[in-house]
Parts: sequence; C-alpha cells; structure tokens
Amino acid sequence: MSPVSGPHLTPDDLDAWLAGALAPAALEHLAACPACRERAETEGEIVSLIAALPLVSPAAGFADRVMTRVAVVQPLRVRTIDLIRQRVFASRRSLAFAASLLVLVAGSMAGSIAWTLGHQETLAALGGWLTAQAGQAVWLGVRGVASNFIEQPWFAGFKDLAASPGRLGFATALALVAYLSGVLALRRLLALPTPRVAHASA
Amino acid sequence: MARAGREAAYRELIRRYERPIFALLFRMVRDRELAEDLAQETFIKALNAIESYRPEFKFSSWIFKIANNAAIDHLRRRELDTLSLDGSPHAATPEAMQATALQIGARQESPLDAVEARELGGAIEAAIGRLRPEYRSCILLRHVEGRAYEEIAEILDLPLGTVKTYIHRARNELRQSLAHLREE
Repeated sequence: MSPVSGPHLTPDDLDAWLAGALAPAALEHLAACPACRERAETEGEIVSLIAALPLVSPAAGFADRVMTRVAVVQPLRVRTIDLIRQRVFASRRSLAFAASLLVLVAGSMAGSIAWTLGHQETLAALGGWLTAQAGQAVWLGVRGVASNFIEQPWFAGFKDLAASPGRLGFATALALVAYLSGVLALRRLLALPTPRVAHASA
Repeated sequence: MARAGREAAYRELIRRYERPIFALLFRMVRDRELAEDLAQETFIKALNAIESYRPEFKFSSWIFKIANNAAIDHLRRRELDTLSLDGSPHAATPEAMQATALQIGARQESPLDAVEARELGGAIEAAIGRLRPEYRSCILLRHVEGRAYEEIAEILDLPLGTVKTYIHRARNELRQSLAHLREE
C-alpha cells in the first residue's frame, strides 16, 4: 500500500466523492487512507439508503380534493378581454356602438395618415418654425444664466483666479480631489455588507 | 375556455408535484393523514397565490418552500418523536393504523428481501425521524429529491454554508444512528 499523502478528506471532498467529482490528489489520498475510505464508504451507503427509500404518494383523488378549494382566477388581461367581449356582444345596440367607435377610430387614423402624406411641405415648414423657436428659447436661457453669473459678488474673485493659469490649475486640482473623496465616501456608505457564510465543515 | 385551460394547467402542476411534496411532508411529520392535509394546504396556498409567483425563480423551489414552511410550522406547534411504519402514532383503531401506514413501493424481489428492505428502510426512516427538523428538510431535499445545495438554500432561506453544514451533520448523525446495522 502506498503511503498516505495529503490532508484527510473534508466534508466538501466527501460531497465531491459522492458526486463522482473528487480531485485526483484527494482520490490518491482516499486510496491510501483507510480512515477516509471507511468514512466515504459509510457516507455512500447512507446516501444510497436514503435514495432508496420507498416511494410514497397521496391517496387517489388528491388533485380533485385540492381543486375543490382552489379559485381558478383569470389574469387581469384575460379578464379585461372577456369583459369587453361580453359587453360588446351583449345586444345589437352595443355591437353597433362598438362598430361605430371602431370605424371612427380607424377612419381618424386613416385620415391622419392621408393628410400627412399630402401635406409634407406644410409639416416640414411647421417643423422648421418649431426648431427655430426652441433654439431661440435655449439661447435666451443661456444668456439669462450668464448675466446672472456675472452679477454675482464673487465673480470678480473668480475672474482674478482664472487670469492666473497656475492658481486656476491648483483650484481645479483641489476641486477634483474634493469630488473624488466625496465619491469614495459615498461608495463606502452605499456598499452592501458582505454576507457571512457559515463554515461548511461538520 | 381560458378558465378550462387554466384549470388543466393547475391539475398538471398538482400531478407533477404531488408525489415529491407529499413525500417530503410525510417524512417531515411522519403521519400519512397529516402529511396529506399539509400537502393539500400547500397546493391550495400556492395555486390561490399563483399571481404572486415570480417566474425568475424555479416553481419547484417556491412550492417546496411553502411545503417546508407548512411542515416546520406544524412541528413547532406539535412535537412528534416516534415513527411507526405500521401507521400514525395518533391512530386510534387498527383501521386507522392501516390507513396511515407507510406504503412501501414494489422494489423488493422476494419475501426475504422484502423483510430486509423493510427493516433497513424502517431503520433509516426512524433515523431521519430523529434528526432536527432543519436537518431533516435538508437531507430529504438533497438525497431524496436530489435538489442542488443552492436550491435548498433558496427553499429554506438559509445561507449556502449553513445548508452544507446541516447536511454533513445530518449524515454524521445518521451514520451514528445506523452504526449497529453495519456491525451486524
């Protein structure tokens, strides 16, 4: 018999052995270690015994007994379609009303498509006018913000700072460091705690 | 028509899961009638709440979780320590004993084998019955139902490491309980 090599099998190794997936080094140990072999064989026998337990089934008619106490509810979508169908086909009047509604909706849609195809130039002009108006509104907004900014009491100091490239660079670096520190602090605060996993050994 | 289709789908779910759910509950509570009541309760609860089922999880995990909770709730209310292959310990009459008896499947080949298997099966059933309910759920789900550790962890709402620990401890306890059989 070859000398015993490596550590004894862990419970995880035994699981792997039961699943037929034990690592070659552990297999080598198993072949040489009588204690581990005996343990593995016993576990194998127990697992086989459990797996061979007799099949048990509930008494006949189990499904019927369950179904008498189960409310077969339709999903909302199916219920809504059923309800609409029932209402539409309830009388000739409701059917006529539904048909008129359908004709009205379909007619409006078809009319809208036809008008669009026949008046493409009008639509293009309208689009251009809307774009120009939106651009003007944006420009007015930017000008408003800029004049507000210039009128602030600290603007003169900011202008001085921007005039010196060295000081501007230092201030930018300082702001960047402050920003990164804030991001790191937030990440730490928002990080999920690592779940604790119990040790798997028996 | 949609209603009929839905009812057929419910029946298919019952057909597919009635045996494993009943087997788990039977081995958890060790009483045939009670296991059947709990199995019914499990299916009624699951099917009446089917709208709350989230398809990203396995249906089997969901229904086993409901069944296991039903068994654990029951065991917390009432402690059962004894196992009888001849029937429920609460059965009052011989007929009730017979009705609640464990029905062994036709795996045996001869009368002698049958007796041997019954003794062995009885010993392992008794040993499983002596385990803590948490160990019992784990070992049954793993080695009777063949569920993966991850799925058992999901069913029992336990960390994966705890499930592994429970299964190893359960096997250790079973090994000790059944040591006399090996010596014979």
